[in-house]
Amino acid sequence: MQTELNLQQSMASTDKSPEPTPAKGSEPTPGKAMGVGQHLIDKGAMMIQSLEPIKQISHHACSFAIYSHDMSRQIETHHYCSRLHQNFIQCAVYDSDESDARLLGVEYIVPADIFETMPPEEQKLWHSHAYEIKSGLWVNPRVPEIIGPPELENLAKTYGKFWCTWQVDRGDRLPMGAPALMMSPQAASPGVVRSDLVLERDAKYNISSESLKSSRLEIPEPEMISPLADYWKQHGQGFAIDIEETQMKLRAP
Amino acid sequence: MSTHPQVLGGEPTQTGTYLRDTATSVIQNFDPINKIHQHLCAFHFYSHDMTRQLEAHHYCAHKNEEMRQCLIYDSPDKKARLIGLEYIISENLYLTLPDEEKRLWHSHLYEVKSGLLIMPKVPAAIQRLDMETVCKTYGKVFHFWQIDKGHSLPFGIPQLMMSVTRDGQIYDHLVKSCAERMGIDFEEERKGREYMTGPDHGIHPLANGGGKGLETRLREVNLKDDPTPPSGTRVSVV
Repeated sequence: MQTELNLQQSMASTDKSPEPTPAKGSEPTPGKAMGVGQHLIDKGAMMIQSLEPIKQISHHACSFAIYSHDMSRQIETHHYCSRLHQNFIQCAVYDSDESDARLLGVEYIVPADIFETMPPEEQKLWHSHAYEIKSGLWVNPRVPEIIGPPELENLAKTYGKFWCTWQVDRGDRLPMGAPALMMSPQAASPGVVRSDLVLERDAKYNISSESLKSSRLEIPEPEMISPLADYWKQHGQGFAIDIEETQMKLRAP
Repeated sequence: MSTHPQVLGGEPTQTGTYLRDTATSVIQNFDPINKIHQHLCAFHFYSHDMTRQLEAHHYCAHKNEEMRQCLIYDSPDKKARLIGLEYIISENLYLTLPDEEKRLWHSHLYEVKSGLLIMPKVPAAIQRLDMETVCKTYGKVFHFWQIDKGHSLPFGIPQLMMSVTRDGQIYDHLVKSCAERMGIDFEEERKGREYMTGPDHGIHPLANGGGKGLETRLREVNLKDDPTPPSGTRVSVV
């Protein structure tokens, strides 16, 4: 007997805001504060376990990202990156660099030559970094720019793929819904980051994106940015993920 | 999707880069990462395909007593790939979620009691203290890198993952391989955890996909329209 549930109806969509429940609102993440017992367990674990992959995380970068399905929504991001090898960076992305930061998602970063090997359907999901770097939006907080430059030159030629799994800016107090594909700041609307966001971030770190932009003038522009990256630019389309019911493929008994 | 061997074998990090990398991590504020205290080893399967199962290494931080945020890697080694993330919440928090959202989360009761969810190297007595809590929680997992398909890069769209909920679901060879490499005795842990109890209100009927398969699909959105889900063009991505 067919149930009332339309199998085509998605359980969740990137661009569908969850219903109002205590899990939505302006107050911070719900949940009791850590008790002593849990602290002790954590401390015990920390002393014994090696946490090797985490030790590889070596860089903090602060920048901005834009929802690909709704480019009026822009967020400040904090990337904690590790280099898997010379050609690949993987980042855990948070909404701040504070201890109560929320884990927003994951970004992967590859150089242009690797990006060029990807099929077109895949390239559409990636964004370029040249503008973000040269405009001074991407910063390494607390690292003097003098250590920066060769690294920045390399980064300016990379492409990133960033999935956001917690849409905190729409009031989700818990991570709800389907993941969102994020895009990078660009020079043209709607990829321009709102100035109030930039000013707020700059004030926090006592920096000026404008001055960084001047000091980064000499970073070479990539010869060309792939036409499929930053897909919205030439196609006026963004992306959303739907989560739908399907026939689960089961193990043979 | 083809693999790209040149990426797999990518150059090791050059010395200059390495020096720069280590210098910055001393100066910068690493609070969110420094909160990661715990390594949990578990198994996930794709929410639309239980035949695809893999080992998942979680590195977890407490957001508060009732919530953890975990980075998921494919191994506990230096060269581990960051393949996904998991959020773990208490029953209390789970019950505040809208019904449609509840389906995306999975219960941990079976995983914990079967011994399949382990804190490597932590003595059983300490481990069980935490497992008593984890037993009652729910988790939401997305993987972004389908390494079980041999992808050399994180191709495609996020995959919703689930955890096993009863005997006979997990592949024996997976468990054996993990046990050997990690020096774990799953059977012993299972026996030691018999006393544990799950969520106070029982496993919610909507959890674990509500017993159904769930699959993620990509849709193109016309940026000029309102951001509500129209019947957009479905794009197929491997």
